[in-house]
Amino acid sequence: MFFFTAAVLLLTAGQVSAQNILVTGTISDASNGEPVPYASIQVKGTMTGASADADGNYEVTVSPQGTLIFSFVGYETKEIKVDGRLHINCELKVDATALDDVIVVAYGTVSREANTGAVSTLKSEGLAESPATSVDKMLSGKMAGVQITSGSGQPGSTSTIRIRGTSSINAGSEPLWVIDGIPVAPGDFRQFSNAGVGGGSSTTFLNPNDIESITILKDAAAASVYGSRAANGVILVTTKTGKKGASKFTARAKYGVQQLINDRNIHPLTGSELIDYRRTAAINAGFNPDDPSSQYYFTEKLLSNGTTDWYKELTRQGSVQEYEVNASGGTEKASYYSSIAYHKNTGVFHGVDYSRFTARVNADMQLTRTLKSGVRVNFSYGDSNSGQMGDLYYSNPTVAMWTINPWTPFRNDDGSYNTSIPENSNTNPRAVAEYDTYNDKEYRAQANLYLEWKPIPQLTLKTTDGFEADILDSKQYWDPRSNKGASTLFKIWSKDLRYTTSNTITYADKYAGAHDLRITVGQEAMLDTYDYLYGYSPDVDPMMPYPNTSTAEKDEVQYGISDESMLSFFGIADYNYMNRYFFQASVRADGSSVFGQESRWGVFWSVGGSWNISSESWMKSSSYWLDILKIRASYGVNGNNNIVPYKAYGVYSTTQYNGTVGMTPSSPANPNLAWEKNKTWNAGVDFGFFNHRLNGSIDYYNRLTDDMLLSKSVPYTTGFGSNFMNVGSVRNRGVEIMLDGDIIRTGDWTWNVGFNISFNRSKVLDLGDSEYLELADSRLSTSSSNRGTPVRIVEGKSMYTFYLRDWYGVNPSTGAGLWWTEEGKLTSDRSKARYVYCGSPEPKATGGFNTTVSWKGLSLSAYFEFVTGNKAMETNQYIDDGYSMNSNTSNVALNYWKKPGDTGVTPKPVAGNSGMYHVSYSTRFLKKGDYMRIKDITLSYSLPYKALQKIRMKGLKLYVSALNPYTFHDLNVLDPEVGSLGYTMGATHSMVKSFIGGIEVSF
Amino acid sequence: MLSVIVLVLSGCSDFLVREPKLSQSNELTLSTYTGLNSAVAGAYSYISATGWYGQSWIIDADMRSGNGVKDKVRDSNRCAQGYNWNYTPDNTSEIWASAYVLTSAVNNVIDNLEGKEDGDVTKQDLDNLKAESLFLRAFAHFHCVLTYAQPYTYDKTSLGVPVVLHTDPKGKPARETVEKVYGQIVADLLEAESIIDPEYVRKGGADEKSYASIDVIRAFLSRVYLYMGEWQNAANYATKVIDSGNYTMWTPADYPTVWGKEIAGDGGEVIFEVYGKITNSTWGSWEDLSYLTKPDGSGDPMVSKDLLALYDAADVRYTAGFRTTTTNNESGRLWTNKYPGKGDAEERDCNNVIVLRLSEMYLTRAEAILNGAAVEGVTKEADINIVRTNRNIAAIGSVTAKDIRDERRRELAWEGHYIYDLARWNTAVTRTDFTLGSMNQNVPFPDYRWALPIPQRELNVNPNLEQNEGYSKN
Repeated sequence: MFFFTAAVLLLTAGQVSAQNILVTGTISDASNGEPVPYASIQVKGTMTGASADADGNYEVTVSPQGTLIFSFVGYETKEIKVDGRLHINCELKVDATALDDVIVVAYGTVSREANTGAVSTLKSEGLAESPATSVDKMLSGKMAGVQITSGSGQPGSTSTIRIRGTSSINAGSEPLWVIDGIPVAPGDFRQFSNAGVGGGSSTTFLNPNDIESITILKDAAAASVYGSRAANGVILVTTKTGKKGASKFTARAKYGVQQLINDRNIHPLTGSELIDYRRTAAINAGFNPDDPSSQYYFTEKLLSNGTTDWYKELTRQGSVQEYEVNASGGTEKASYYSSIAYHKNTGVFHGVDYSRFTARVNADMQLTRTLKSGVRVNFSYGDSNSGQMGDLYYSNPTVAMWTINPWTPFRNDDGSYNTSIPENSNTNPRAVAEYDTYNDKEYRAQANLYLEWKPIPQLTLKTTDGFEADILDSKQYWDPRSNKGASTLFKIWSKDLRYTTSNTITYADKYAGAHDLRITVGQEAMLDTYDYLYGYSPDVDPMMPYPNTSTAEKDEVQYGISDESMLSFFGIADYNYMNRYFFQASVRADGSSVFGQESRWGVFWSVGGSWNISSESWMKSSSYWLDILKIRASYGVNGNNNIVPYKAYGVYSTTQYNGTVGMTPSSPANPNLAWEKNKTWNAGVDFGFFNHRLNGSIDYYNRLTDDMLLSKSVPYTTGFGSNFMNVGSVRNRGVEIMLDGDIIRTGDWTWNVGFNISFNRSKVLDLGDSEYLELADSRLSTSSSNRGTPVRIVEGKSMYTFYLRDWYGVNPSTGAGLWWTEEGKLTSDRSKARYVYCGSPEPKATGGFNTTVSWKGLSLSAYFEFVTGNKAMETNQYIDDGYSMNSNTSNVALNYWKKPGDTGVTPKPVAGNSGMYHVSYSTRFLKKGDYMRIKDITLSYSLPYKALQKIRMKGLKLYVSALNPYTFHDLNVLDPEVGSLGYTMGATHSMVKSFIGGIEVSF
Repeated sequence: MLSVIVLVLSGCSDFLVREPKLSQSNELTLSTYTGLNSAVAGAYSYISATGWYGQSWIIDADMRSGNGVKDKVRDSNRCAQGYNWNYTPDNTSEIWASAYVLTSAVNNVIDNLEGKEDGDVTKQDLDNLKAESLFLRAFAHFHCVLTYAQPYTYDKTSLGVPVVLHTDPKGKPARETVEKVYGQIVADLLEAESIIDPEYVRKGGADEKSYASIDVIRAFLSRVYLYMGEWQNAANYATKVIDSGNYTMWTPADYPTVWGKEIAGDGGEVIFEVYGKITNSTWGSWEDLSYLTKPDGSGDPMVSKDLLALYDAADVRYTAGFRTTTTNNESGRLWTNKYPGKGDAEERDCNNVIVLRLSEMYLTRAEAILNGAAVEGVTKEADINIVRTNRNIAAIGSVTAKDIRDERRRELAWEGHYIYDLARWNTAVTRTDFTLGSMNQNVPFPDYRWALPIPQRELNVNPNLEQNEGYSKN
């Protein structure tokens, strides 16, 4: 539309009268002095006008008494009287309200005023300086109702994202990611590097600097257009496009260091601390620790050969580095943005690192006056390495650093790693890190192309077609030097290909100056195929560790393949009257191959409305203090189809018996298998006071998940033990508040403060025929009977509830541990201890606050994040009250009972302690999980444009930043962010803090 | 664009159909002879599961009966449940699941055979599939009723197990009486006998003796009639098998070589066996019968002194039927040698498990004759002595019930028989060698413990089921 207007203006520019003068000048950005290219200049009261060139220079013919109107998208329009001058420079101010004015929503954009749903947005400025690796990590604490939990501090790992709570048990609770209009493949394909431990979708393939904006669609009105995939919310990512003007090149570099978060200074015992502890334990058990014949003979002599600080030997200073070059620019007809970036993060544990190369080209072209086309292409290569992180296994340094005795030498006399470590199954994690391989190489490409046709200004036809490919090359190798037995090779190749086509027709018009109407109808189709090849080769030749050197009889090969398709039709209608009353409705029909033939199609819909009270004429009198007051309400139904394919099929699969292949039933048919349904209503209010000095919104929502997919036990006489059915129900309801205020807004100074908080309450309403479900943790043990977790899903309680042995504490007169029994009595017999439901790992409130102070080009900003009202388990401290007398423990163990009357202590250590007070999953280790984290402090300085002009630069910015520098909490663990289940799954890479410096140059 | 939508719409019914690639839909499997045929081939695999003939069926039976004993020489905490008769509703035999999953698999076949004649596929081909399916269904119900119900010969009106003849996803069948379950077993086997081609045996497998044939069906009928105390029928069907000429007794020279063979092959005693191989999908690895009974494997089940005392020193079943460990074994314990492994893997190995063999037929016939059955030209003494002389012990002149019982125990030890023989004889378990035992050394008869508890998880999901007497009914 703009091009059209500009062209008309240019055409009419020749019709000027002779007495007019020619005025020239430059139009620039008031904030940094950069030229504003292609701004329009109009002579007030006439049809005459002109357009600036790419460097902001303009010339226009005008009467000496005339007035020029300068305008450009995103800037406040400015009028300047000519007063006979021949040279007029104009500085345009960025329109603060206008920038936020347009938000990206499903299949289009909408003005913030017209939005009826609950959405949160984040612009690129908020993202670029963050020292985090991936997009998901950057959103943490910044948006109300969006809870992001890192399962691990491992470089390149994923996070868990929950929008308005957890709503599903088996169908996944992760939101849908839509990048430039195309939903991307969910999950994480990586296999051996343990980087997918967070459980969320991988977004590591995105260079965060390529992102222009992120919109999170939280309620049904905003998200339901995505139908059967909208139940957990939708994250819309829009990448950068070129702007008209001379090409701009930007180079960024940053470097930083990382260390483990350990703000409560937990450490393994030193040699003399441990000896002291063991001696006490031996004496308490009636042994003489000075008697060489005693099995508990522990004296300082053990330390005569020196000690090893295993915490220190198994960790190192991590590092982060990132280098990027991007270029953007455009003409009237075409624009482009392209970038290449390299990122490398070396982990705090040896052998753990992640590096990534990304390249992007976004190009847009005005083909004809009515036809526009463009591409978005992103390529990424990620290389993830880990030692054996995640598994509770001896080679995992997060376990071993707490358990290896300090007098066990780290290296042998010849300098090689000591692997004679009986207390750690003769495994030295440094040897594992050095010699073994746990590697994923991931190649991911996304390309989409759009074609947009506007035959008349009111009508837009658009097709967007995307292709996504993920190729994974994974390797795990056990070298004989790491002392795990014979050299063994595991290899996986996998491939995921996804095609999506999205086609829309939009009609938008305004009638009688008061009725705005926009209608979009669309169609979408998706096809995804995934397959993998897995090879296992024991006894390969360590000199040539490839499958070829293992005997063919011992090699094992497995192959898997699955596909999934989806077809959708949808419509959206928006209407508003006089910018006061807004209505929106959407409907979508989704057909999905993963559901049963009786229920293959589902219809999802939403309605929403808002009333912009501040636009009413009777509110005019308050307009000096009230900028905006809007109330919103919406209701909608959407779905969750996030289950593995083929669950609806009754299938036979092959079975080998008697040297031949037969078929046996492998899953029961469920022709009625359908999506989980989410019914959400939302009511909210948006407000802005005192010339937008204080803005905010409050939302209340109620989200009911019905027809939840659960595996239901059935009698074996049906041929199966269980069947996957739509039976359960869960509710999430809550309140979200966001506030943002400019406390100071003078010429050079600004001080902005933002705050968000959300309260979510979940309740399990129905679990079908079960009263509770136990959550299994595949990382806990290889034996299936031992995978129980401390968390249950219980009907009538929060989504997750701890179910533990009830610990009373330490008997103040004896120092022994005590439990509560079923009868409410105290006992020191663990087997008589009762089990109790004892709180939830779900926080009662989460949120964050941030503040930015800036003076001219200098800016200091800080982000804080808090979580409160949750319970968390203190795991991985390796406290056993003297039980094993064979491995180290942490300094938390030193706070033990010493004399009668001691309270608030751990039981006194007794060698071979038979009390088993330490055995996991009792309330002894359950604590309040509240914490507040300084998430990010950044100090940056941008040099003024005028100073840079002399050296032909457009921008120079320097910054230093600290991520997670300090965390306030009371848990006896390194870091309180222990995952959404309230305890550390297995033993993952602990969380890290980073200190980073960076520079950004553009010219 | 509209035309695109129309095109897509017209094709959408196919576009949204994504069938699993590595498994086959029920409809497809059961719609052709080929599919049905491979469904029957697959159904056999259930009986080789670790919870059945892959291990537990044999081990539980012999540990309960007093043929087995635990000792600290080898104690990995395995096999204790059967040894101590320590069964609860939450921790009982796993046969239930395997038996009914097998039943459902073959019911799917039986109910889809109609009208599948096509080209080369004749009615007889379909009848052969049906006969195999009926045999497997009878096999499943028989093992189930032996496990969870009191013996037919004690109280056939007591509760048996559900009889499932059609797969019903919503079905919640109640338990039928023992008599009714046996009635169905006999009916299925008689129908199978009448429709199977007498020459038929399934092709394509490594071991033909792991598939049903007319001899297998008849031998199994003989076993079932024996358990019902229908002596004449038991004797008649044993005779049909003996007279078929397809089987010969192992000689004392053969005896040491017949265990651990890849396949039984033609001749010999084996009528029906469960094929064991590390390539079987059901292979139990470290839990396989072969590794469990290996003296240097986990080795938990050892041979009791009560059993050893029954053998003469020259008995080939004594000299070749047991083995000892290579390591220091002060206790002098022996282990069964019936599952020495095929040598497929050094540590974890695999073995065929014999279910029906010729000597059982002779012993069954002898017992039937003792109880009043008559077969022309056959005496109980002749039958017993065929077994005895082929085991290198002296023939005997007159045969008592005790002779038959002891011979049966000696001959079929560690093949999963003796506990069910005791049950049908209504005889108590008496154990003098009860090392490492903790409860239920002697189990009188009658007693509630002879019927194991129904799995609690079944009671939870099927309100029509009733728990056995004596077990907690939560």
